Amino acid sequence: MGQSPREAPLLEIRSLRHEYRQPDGSRLRVLRLDSLRAFRGEALAVAGPSGSGKTTLLHILAALVQPSEGEVLFDGRSLRASHPSSARWRALSVGYVFQDVNLLPDFSVLENLLIAGEISGVPRAAAQERALSLLRRLGLEGRRHNRPAKLSLGERQRAAVARAVLHAPPLVLADEPTASLDAENARAVTDLLLELCGESRSLLIAATHDEAVKKRFPRLVELNKLAELNKEGRIVP
Amino acid sequence: MKGFTALRIALRHLRSRAFQTFSVVSITAFSAGLAVALFLLAQGLRLGLIRAAEPFDLIVGAKGSPYQLVLNTVFLQDVPVGNIPWENCAALSDDARVGFAAPLGFGDSYRGYPVVGTTPDILNVRVRASDPPWLRIGEGRWCFGESEFEAVLGARAAAETGLRVGDVFQSSHGVVQSSHGLAAGGGYGHKHEEKYRVVGIAETVHGPYDRAIFVPLGVLWKIHDPHHAHEDEEDGHAHEHGEAEEAHDREVTAILVHPKSYTDAYSLAVSFQRSADKQLVFPAQTVVRLFSLMGRGEAFLSAVVWAVGGCALLTVLLVLYWSGAARGRERALLHVLGVPRRTLVFISWLEGTAALLAGTLLGELAGRAGAGAVFALLSRTTAVTPAVPLTWQECLAPAVFLCAGSLGSLAAAWNGSRTHMERLG
Repeated sequence: MGQSPREAPLLEIRSLRHEYRQPDGSRLRVLRLDSLRAFRGEALAVAGPSGSGKTTLLHILAALVQPSEGEVLFDGRSLRASHPSSARWRALSVGYVFQDVNLLPDFSVLENLLIAGEISGVPRAAAQERALSLLRRLGLEGRRHNRPAKLSLGERQRAAVARAVLHAPPLVLADEPTASLDAENARAVTDLLLELCGESRSLLIAATHDEAVKKRFPRLVELNKLAELNKEGRIVP
Repeated sequence: MKGFTALRIALRHLRSRAFQTFSVVSITAFSAGLAVALFLLAQGLRLGLIRAAEPFDLIVGAKGSPYQLVLNTVFLQDVPVGNIPWENCAALSDDARVGFAAPLGFGDSYRGYPVVGTTPDILNVRVRASDPPWLRIGEGRWCFGESEFEAVLGARAAAETGLRVGDVFQSSHGVVQSSHGLAAGGGYGHKHEEKYRVVGIAETVHGPYDRAIFVPLGVLWKIHDPHHAHEDEEDGHAHEHGEAEEAHDREVTAILVHPKSYTDAYSLAVSFQRSADKQLVFPAQTVVRLFSLMGRGEAFLSAVVWAVGGCALLTVLLVLYWSGAARGRERALLHVLGVPRRTLVFISWLEGTAALLAGTLLGELAGRAGAGAVFALLSRTTAVTPAVPLTWQECLAPAVFLCAGSLGSLAAAWNGSRTHMERLG
């Protein structure tokens, strides 16, 4: 895992700031990250206390949220959440694993994977082959026709990992992927993420506050809880 | 994402939320069905009644309610207004403005089927000049001429009484409410001694006269002649009454008049306006006037139907809105997977519109079935055969409902497409 010395970074963050305007007019500064460079095949854990902006960072990296300040370059091009093609870019370039809500409840596990494949433009036959191969590898082949409600939490997360890597995206984002799992399942899911992303040379960025998970990632980015600003821009004590 | 997948997702959502889908479909079907049924009933009845009145250009009868005269003469319903002397028919036949005049005598019946006394003049009736005769014999021959007590059955009368050519029957005097509506019946009047022999069965006219039993008018006069019953016993005495007295007793209930032209028709109408004991009516106009009187009720019913439709639409939109709101997580998930907002809107809109479309089609079918059932009942009891082809007016209310619902669904879908990422945890 890692980058060759001459390889350009897949992801580059410059002076990233984000704040939310609250109903009373005050602003809540949730994220500050001055600089980050990450390469294909790398695995980064993003850690920090609640409210430090881990989830917001992932949303920005998925072009779901436009940052208040700063710039995110993906493969040398600036990400714009408001750009009409951002959804298309996300479909092609990003795999996403959430904490718990990961699968469409009305579709079977296999259908969830195939729909994701279709959204990402993977041909149906190739998607089917890859999905079955992944499910077999993750021990979910026998559950492929089950709906998510019939699966255990660990099985759902493994299925979500399979869906995220189905189209071998260059960037895989995982938001607290093990938060609702027991230690054994948490380790299994983490290993799967690392293994599958490594195979496809995807850049894996996982937000977590789990110490055991953090230790398994070669790189760690620590975010700090930031201040709340009043209407005049002063720090709220 | 391909359109097919969007459709698959929308349909799967509809299937997995079966109760919500059922609610939307059934509320829509109820509203659309109500509107379609009301429209068809009003239109079908109007067309059926107008069609039944078509063979009758003008009707002359005793002074009284023109509606009653039309109901009795055209639709064979209600009791006769009264009789007028036979001389009126003779005079009309001789009138230069009249093509022909066919007398009609009512008052007797057989098992609820009205006996209609008439003359061969009625065979001249045509709906349009280029059409074949309105009354045509289907089996046997007509009853005018060879022997007195002969009868020709209307198609329906034959089918429902089971009488065939060569059978005999006895009519009864009187008009009572029977199970088949207001018609002559054998319940309260006495049964005549004379027996009619069936000599023919008419082809269907698709109207009330399918229930008629045609007999020569002269036979009716004979049966109702107070002296006739004693003729056999007191033969010599009966003939003591002079011809003048016999002619005086001859009456008809109505005269079907075919004017030579429109001008003649209006000229005849003016002539009868001055009459103290007779009236001339245009049956088609009377039916239309009857409908314009009923039209106020119809307008009120229409308003009720539109109000019900409006309430149903609001309910449907609320269901769609809440149903959409409940799928916020799924939409957010699809958005993260790379589905653009416009596709999310399309999926939600498709869900709402598919349910509305299913409800509308179901309502159209249910409305047609309901109206068809009422028509069948009406046709069985009155032989008026209301039927309407599929027209755009019939689809108006369901189409408005569908379009409004679809637009509302689009608004709900747009509102619900604002994905809230926090819902994904």
